[in-house]
Amino acid sequence: MSQLAMVIDLKRCVGCHACAIACRAEWGIPVAYKRNWVHRLGPEKTPHGLSYTFYPGLCNHCDDPKCVSVCPVDPEERTFKDPKTGKTKKMAVHATFKHPFTGAVLIDKSRCIGCGSCVEACPYGARYLNEDLDDPKADKCTFCVERLEVGEQPACVKTCITKARIFGDLSDKSSEVHKIVASGKAVRLTSKEVNIGPNVYYTGLKRDTYLLIQKCAPHERKWENVKAPTRRDVILAAVRRLKTAV
Amino acid sequence: MKRRRFLKLSASACAALAALEFQGKGMFRPAAASTGNAQGLPGSLGAKDIPSVCEMCFWRCPIVGKVKNGRLVKIEGNPKSPANDTRVCARGNSGVQLVYDPDRLKYPLKRTGKRGEGKWARISWEEALDEIAHNMNKVKDKYGPHALAFFDHGASAEFMRGIFNALGTENYTNEPAFFQCVGPAALAFIKTMGYVTSGTRQYIDMKNAKAILLVASHIGENVHVSHVSEYMEGLSKGAKLVVVDPRFSAPAGKAHIYLPIRPGTDTALLLAWMNFIIENGLYDKDFVKNHCTGFNDVKEAVKKCTIEWAAPICDLKPEEMRKAIVMLAEARPHVAIHPGRHATWYGKGDTSRHQALGMLAALFGAVGVPGGLYFPTHVKKGHSECAECGGEPETPDESLQEDYYPFASMFGSPTSKIIEASLSGDPYPVKLWGINGVNILQTIPDPYKTMEAIKKLDFIFCEEILPTETAMWSDIVLPGATYLERYDAVYTYDLLTPYITIRQPVIKPMFEVKSPYWIARQLAKRLGLECFQVKDEKDIIEEELKPAGLSIDSLNKKGGLVKFKAHPYRKRKDLKFKTDSGKIALSVEAFADEDLDPIPKFIPTPAPPKGYARLIYGRVPVHTFSRTMNNKWLHNEWPENQLWLNDEAAGKMGLKDGDEVILENQDGYKSLPIKLKVTPGIRADVVYMAHGYGSRSKMLTKAFEKGASDQFIITEYVDDPFMGASSHRTNFVRIIKGSKIIDVPDLCPVPPELPRFKLKKADRVKTGGRK
Repeated sequence: MSQLAMVIDLKRCVGCHACAIACRAEWGIPVAYKRNWVHRLGPEKTPHGLSYTFYPGLCNHCDDPKCVSVCPVDPEERTFKDPKTGKTKKMAVHATFKHPFTGAVLIDKSRCIGCGSCVEACPYGARYLNEDLDDPKADKCTFCVERLEVGEQPACVKTCITKARIFGDLSDKSSEVHKIVASGKAVRLTSKEVNIGPNVYYTGLKRDTYLLIQKCAPHERKWENVKAPTRRDVILAAVRRLKTAV
Repeated sequence: MKRRRFLKLSASACAALAALEFQGKGMFRPAAASTGNAQGLPGSLGAKDIPSVCEMCFWRCPIVGKVKNGRLVKIEGNPKSPANDTRVCARGNSGVQLVYDPDRLKYPLKRTGKRGEGKWARISWEEALDEIAHNMNKVKDKYGPHALAFFDHGASAEFMRGIFNALGTENYTNEPAFFQCVGPAALAFIKTMGYVTSGTRQYIDMKNAKAILLVASHIGENVHVSHVSEYMEGLSKGAKLVVVDPRFSAPAGKAHIYLPIRPGTDTALLLAWMNFIIENGLYDKDFVKNHCTGFNDVKEAVKKCTIEWAAPICDLKPEEMRKAIVMLAEARPHVAIHPGRHATWYGKGDTSRHQALGMLAALFGAVGVPGGLYFPTHVKKGHSECAECGGEPETPDESLQEDYYPFASMFGSPTSKIIEASLSGDPYPVKLWGINGVNILQTIPDPYKTMEAIKKLDFIFCEEILPTETAMWSDIVLPGATYLERYDAVYTYDLLTPYITIRQPVIKPMFEVKSPYWIARQLAKRLGLECFQVKDEKDIIEEELKPAGLSIDSLNKKGGLVKFKAHPYRKRKDLKFKTDSGKIALSVEAFADEDLDPIPKFIPTPAPPKGYARLIYGRVPVHTFSRTMNNKWLHNEWPENQLWLNDEAAGKMGLKDGDEVILENQDGYKSLPIKLKVTPGIRADVVYMAHGYGSRSKMLTKAFEKGASDQFIITEYVDDPFMGASSHRTNFVRIIKGSKIIDVPDLCPVPPELPRFKLKKADRVKTGGRK
């Protein structure tokens, strides 16, 4: 199975924030929310020396996406197409799902009830509930699959001024992402407590990846505390959707 | 190089040109690829691409504006551009929010309250321009032409500068870009190498370097796309990086050797390094012998500057200093000694410091070779006299330029002299200021003095995009079109990937805003000046494109940009420099002729007085100067600055990360509140903040009072004796938390060679700034 993935090279990243803004521009994200961000880490002492590095973050499109498993929307059968081969597959999915051919975790906006469960569940804080909308919906990075379909790169990759973001299909052995990940040089933001197979990888100097994992790997199993929305919430959401549809 | 070009204006030629019909077919010409047929595609997909040139900063990357239904939705790099390809930085991406900023100046304004109060009435363009012309004539008639002064920066200022020039003032170009930034570096390299190795751009081949030296250049914190990407390419190919900086900056984080130098002692380090490579035969003997003059004098002059001499001055470990210079020397001649850009640090030694950087590059033979300093590639373009408004200023009896600083006139009039003359009337009265493209109150040291000077003026006007502090202090404010709403000029790029391109409008001008050419043309008419006779910028662009065999139309058919082959390197036998001797001047005679040091000497700048730390500043990658703090996306990304404070010092002061503090400088001026970033990544004798924050204009609704302004606590400055730039790193601060003034502990011993700054008597210490 294919799995879209990204490797961010912290040796190349200068922390310029172009990625964050290009994403915002491309998808018109209101400033209260973010799909893509850059945090500064350090300067701080590490066992490998003083580090000053960055956490360029986005949805990890995890192998075991907890945001998907908490979605309370009843599964519905959908037909998925492999963008590479054209092969199709039928599968029943919640309003948010992991695409069987690309591995991208996506949201079916027309079915999302805006309950916010997935937002709460994500240990990376990669999702938000867009309350700017009359009918609030969950939203997040899509790996720009909409752009990939027409032969474009993800907006953050296309603007990256130092080519620090490497994007591709992990299952494709000739891809650069595969080569880097297979070399074992890349790290992921995981911990003993939270290890759900993130597909965003980071490479860099030892001191920098050390600080990144220290500061940014999640430890809280947030999805375990998500309360399922009550029946009342679900009905209210349905009414809201009806109203906005009318 | 004289910056001034006294062109004779050929009015008739321009009039004839005006009569010609050009084939420019409208402003919304798509680039080859995109059709503008959006058909419900999401995001920017399917948008119409219009090639143009960015001006979120002065680097001016080629861009495409992506337009859907007449609205600019996104900006990307122009894929045709060999310099940046599809890439633009955070600011370039955010041009969209400059155009659609609700705080923009929308129509001409006339002041109704006191100067600086921010009370306005909307007026017509006719009235605004009439009033400006009336006042310019009045002041000129009463006090003579030199009573007019123009502060300028960026592309928008070009035409208006011509008007001041034509009226005969010597004060027609007073760019903070030179007197607050690059001037000393530019002068040092012009005299050493014969060209502007560091001016707007830096001709330094980091991409092909085997080692790179950065002396307080914060690449990545200041972002110019091609510059950063070449630096990164060099590093990823294995270049060794040496970073000299009192603060562990973003490039320090990538350095192989990081030297946390004591501020103000860089020249001591450079002299010791020169001595070390001469003593140890680690310089390029062939290059020095054949292509440099003055070597023996330099050898003699630096003899006493040993590593052991410099180490306590610089507060560095001798073995680290040696390791670094050997690392650089081993890469010679492919070693990139970065010439630096912002150079107005300490006043007295600034030109010399950059001269020393040039000398080090020369000693390594790192000039005209891959990986070293290189030569610009001339890209052929025409010059339209219609873009000029020529005139030859008469020299006043006592000039603000030559009579104070021997090399000032290469750049204009020092801003500090104009401000002093406006205040005192000495040596002649300056009574009218025009300002374009620069927020002088957030740029020039001692803004309190600047405000006092403004109060004494008969008239002050500005052309601006946003209601900055400077607009607040103006009598008439003209709303200018942004770079995305206007034709402008032909832009050529003469670095490693040369090209020619043009700026053209991506969307129609919003509100009542006008292009700088239109404004200058209307004003010139009212002043009876025979210039700017063609109807609009397009005619000028067409004339300037002609020698390259291009027109607006043909250029747009090629995607808005045409590339050229670079010619950056020279064979040694072909090396020729535009200096008096045709060689690199290791000792500059022209400086000696003016009783200035021909070879750099270490001139100590005062160390912090007890209880104070030196204030240093820099950039964050999402902002340009103080220009972008109100941009919705950029503001959101980095709304306020932080004060970096050494962790050990903070511990002794009882301060912790995130604490909100106020700074008080040596003259008693206080900053706005700012939050602490406590880190081991800064020396204990300095504090650092990003420049440009802490706006004092209420009309900038997002930026107003967000973070603290460095500029408003930079009140002590020393002029560069060579060209009159004013220093910015000669100020010291204490920290106030709550109502308690906390002294900064003295953790960095000061050797006897370095005198401490003497605090003035208490009567000067007042709360003229923020109480």
